[in-house]
Amino acid sequence: MGRAQIGEFEELVLLTVGVLYDDAYAVAIAKELEDQSGRSVAVSAVHKSLYRLEEKGMLESRLGDPESKRGGKRKRLFNITPYGKKALDDSLDLRSRLRGQIPELAFKFNS
Amino acid sequence: MKRPHGIPKWPYLFFKFYCKRERFEEMHGDLEEYFYERVETKGMVKARWYYLRDVLRCCQPYAWKTPSFYKNSNLIMFKNYFKTASRSALRNPLSSFINIFGLSMAIGVCVMTYSFMNQSLNTDKFHENKDKVFLTTIFADRDGETAQYGVTPVPLAEHLKTDFANIEKVCRIDDHNTVIRLNNQVFYEDIRLVDGEFLEMFTFPLKWGDKASLYDPNSIILSEEVSNKYFKTENPIGKEVLVIFKSGEKKHFEIAGVAEDFPNMANIKFDFLINYSNIEVAMADHKPADWAKFLDATLIQLNDPTSIATVSTGMDKYLKLQNEVNKDWAIQGFEFISIDELYLNSSDIQQAISYDDRRPGRVTLPFIAAFMIILACLNYVNMAINSIAKRLKEIGVRKVMGADKRRVMIQFLAENVFITFCAMIFGLFLGMTVFMPWFEGISGEQYSIELSDHLFYLFMLGLLLLTGIASGIYPAFYISRFEAVKIFKGKIKLGRKGWLTQTFLGFQLVLACITITAAVIFVQNTNYQINRSWGYNQNHLMYIHTPSKEMYDKMKVEMEKSSYLENVSGTADHIGRKSSSVVAETLDRKYEVSELKVEPIYFKTMGVEIASGREWSQDVKYGNREVVVNQTFVNQLELEEPLGFEIKIRDNDYVIVGVINDLHNQPFGNEIQPMVFSQVNDGDQTFLIANITSGYDFKAYDEIESTWDELYPEIPLVGGLQADIWDGYFNMIGNFARFNKAVATIAVALALLGLYGLMTLNISGRIKELSIRKTLGANMMHLSKIMSKQYLALTIVSICVGAPLGYFFTKFQLDMVFAYPLDMGAYRVVIPVIILVVALILVVFSQVFRVNRFNPIKGLRTE
Repeated sequence: MGRAQIGEFEELVLLTVGVLYDDAYAVAIAKELEDQSGRSVAVSAVHKSLYRLEEKGMLESRLGDPESKRGGKRKRLFNITPYGKKALDDSLDLRSRLRGQIPELAFKFNS
Repeated sequence: MKRPHGIPKWPYLFFKFYCKRERFEEMHGDLEEYFYERVETKGMVKARWYYLRDVLRCCQPYAWKTPSFYKNSNLIMFKNYFKTASRSALRNPLSSFINIFGLSMAIGVCVMTYSFMNQSLNTDKFHENKDKVFLTTIFADRDGETAQYGVTPVPLAEHLKTDFANIEKVCRIDDHNTVIRLNNQVFYEDIRLVDGEFLEMFTFPLKWGDKASLYDPNSIILSEEVSNKYFKTENPIGKEVLVIFKSGEKKHFEIAGVAEDFPNMANIKFDFLINYSNIEVAMADHKPADWAKFLDATLIQLNDPTSIATVSTGMDKYLKLQNEVNKDWAIQGFEFISIDELYLNSSDIQQAISYDDRRPGRVTLPFIAAFMIILACLNYVNMAINSIAKRLKEIGVRKVMGADKRRVMIQFLAENVFITFCAMIFGLFLGMTVFMPWFEGISGEQYSIELSDHLFYLFMLGLLLLTGIASGIYPAFYISRFEAVKIFKGKIKLGRKGWLTQTFLGFQLVLACITITAAVIFVQNTNYQINRSWGYNQNHLMYIHTPSKEMYDKMKVEMEKSSYLENVSGTADHIGRKSSSVVAETLDRKYEVSELKVEPIYFKTMGVEIASGREWSQDVKYGNREVVVNQTFVNQLELEEPLGFEIKIRDNDYVIVGVINDLHNQPFGNEIQPMVFSQVNDGDQTFLIANITSGYDFKAYDEIESTWDELYPEIPLVGGLQADIWDGYFNMIGNFARFNKAVATIAVALALLGLYGLMTLNISGRIKELSIRKTLGANMMHLSKIMSKQYLALTIVSICVGAPLGYFFTKFQLDMVFAYPLDMGAYRVVIPVIILVVALILVVFSQVFRVNRFNPIKGLRTE
């Protein structure tokens, strides 16, 4: 298998899981993303990415405690795995490498 | 889990329905969290809408339950069977193609047969009153044999109506050929004169107009086909039609109705309907009380169909009335036949309103369909057993993994039903797009498969299971028997004692032999029929029909003027076109004969030679009492010295002065009738016949046609070249031969493929033996001897069984369809047998060559 493939939205979700360490569950992630990026995020999209990332082994999860604001239901809390960290690093690495290779001239805008 | 307060019911239930149970808690928790928050910030109503939106958005594959049947282990196995089946089918594209194609051909033929049988068994059964309406038939004696006829004496209908209380309705039918003028177009059309009850007895709904208008003597009702022909899609109600009857009378009718398109299953139909009272106009000599005259049909309708017995027993009184007047043709009895039963009996009833020519088809088609299915199944069995060699390991693994005998059998049967299903879809397609249109072309009728026909689905399902199981049961048994250990040890020897496959192959060869015999003989018969002498010279001969004396006189002058025509002859009848049946009386017996009224020059024009005697005397112009007869006439009357023999026709005495050799007045499918040629009275001629100078056939006819069009723009010319009059017939018998050829091709191909498959299997089983023989110096002769030895006996037995069967089958078929078939000497089977043997030898040699080129080292090497 080659490099772990990861989509743009998945990457954002993965990062947010890291940001919200220890309290990363779907609703919180959706809200955090909305706050930080300024775009509206559907909870179903977050669900989809979370389950997918878990399947890929980049996230691991456990069930939290029941909460009354959730109608007495437990939430699923996510953590990044080492493999997830590697995927993030790889992705960041690739981006910065590519960014570094852009010649200065390319940014000389004649406007 | 109870629904939390405030959450809308239906979205909640929907979510519960689709969501995986193990994710329900966390996901619904998230949704609830949002919901309660929104209740606070946006209010209950909006929160409920948002909830619905979230539920719908979450409805994605990641959240879905796995349907419970995915967990059913049987179904998982079936999925696996399906996968292996399609893989092994794709791995041997040739053999699976043969299997599927063979089966689908057979199924296509079955589909065609079904539609044919369905249609012909249900003909005229769509009438609501089919059980209550009866056709009156009579038994009468003509030429020594009692036969059933559909015609009835003219006055019978009136009597029936008044004499029987239980007869509810009576309807008379009489058909007349007329000239119709409609929309400034002129055509010859058949008009059906019927009583107003006709449309009440039969279920013919009207598209436009009113059924009751049939009681009005000035109304006419059209079929949709006729209406489309003259008026396209326009509603013709109220338009005027001019009808010119044979009597010369003209009458205007108003179109009062158009019948809906007749179903394919209608045999009794009509083009035009007018009220029966018009019979007075149509026939100058109509006498309603004359028991000697007949009309085409008398139908009765009863309220209670069982009371027909009381009518039948009360019919005797009419016999006397009729027999007194018409001694020539005395009726011996009456029988009533319900519309329900009429069509299937109509080939036994002469001159009936219902006509059945599908009897040969009803006998042969199911046979052929069954043949094809059997052949395809046998082929499948052989191919399946052959291909097992490649799948032995798979079966071994399955057995080791815990599959028992039953399970392996089910696997192979399921595989087979699946293949049959593919073949069925393809076959249905083949049947509907290839076979049925092609068969329609042969029969000239429309066939269809109704999608609402439940019986058809049942038929297809039955066919699927029957073919699927019949072809799969033996391979499944055979395969499931193997023990896994033996398979892996390589101890399974295939193709050793395949007595059953041998039997199947033998059976295939027999069928192939039968069909190829039929095909070859039919092709020969078609050529024979085409080349058969018509009994006269049909080439360079034209005829035209001149309905009136004035036309006759004018056209005769025109034709005699033409530089391309000679021997112009005027007649009242014409060979192949018109003759009338009359009763010829000798001292002690009566015979039904065809009479043709002609001029003496007619024999010269037609190229008919007088075999013995002479033509009638030219100088006696009128009232000539001399006749010329054909050989059949002499044979039937058993005359030893025909010349000078006296017969009585229409109460006049005639003397036979000449005998001609037999000639075909009807297509060759019909037996030659006894014929009498008598002198036509001047003024009665309605045909003009002439020889054409060789090479100018079309030119001469076109010339006459344009002359006619100038003289009579209102009346269509009826005429043509004599050689063309039986085009349709020759076309039909040609199709018959093509049909047999197609069947034989498939049957032979399947048998050859079967042999090919068996030999391949046999060789792969004996590859070591053959390799050793080769290294020890066996040459090709030797190899072919040992390889074909076991098939030799089989082939000989099959041909010995198949050839006589084919002979009798073909003879039976020919005798049924043709009155004058090819002479069927036993030597007729030689050619088909040779073709078959050559084909078999080719298959055997292809295998011998393969082995001959085969490197024996490859066969002897152990790894």
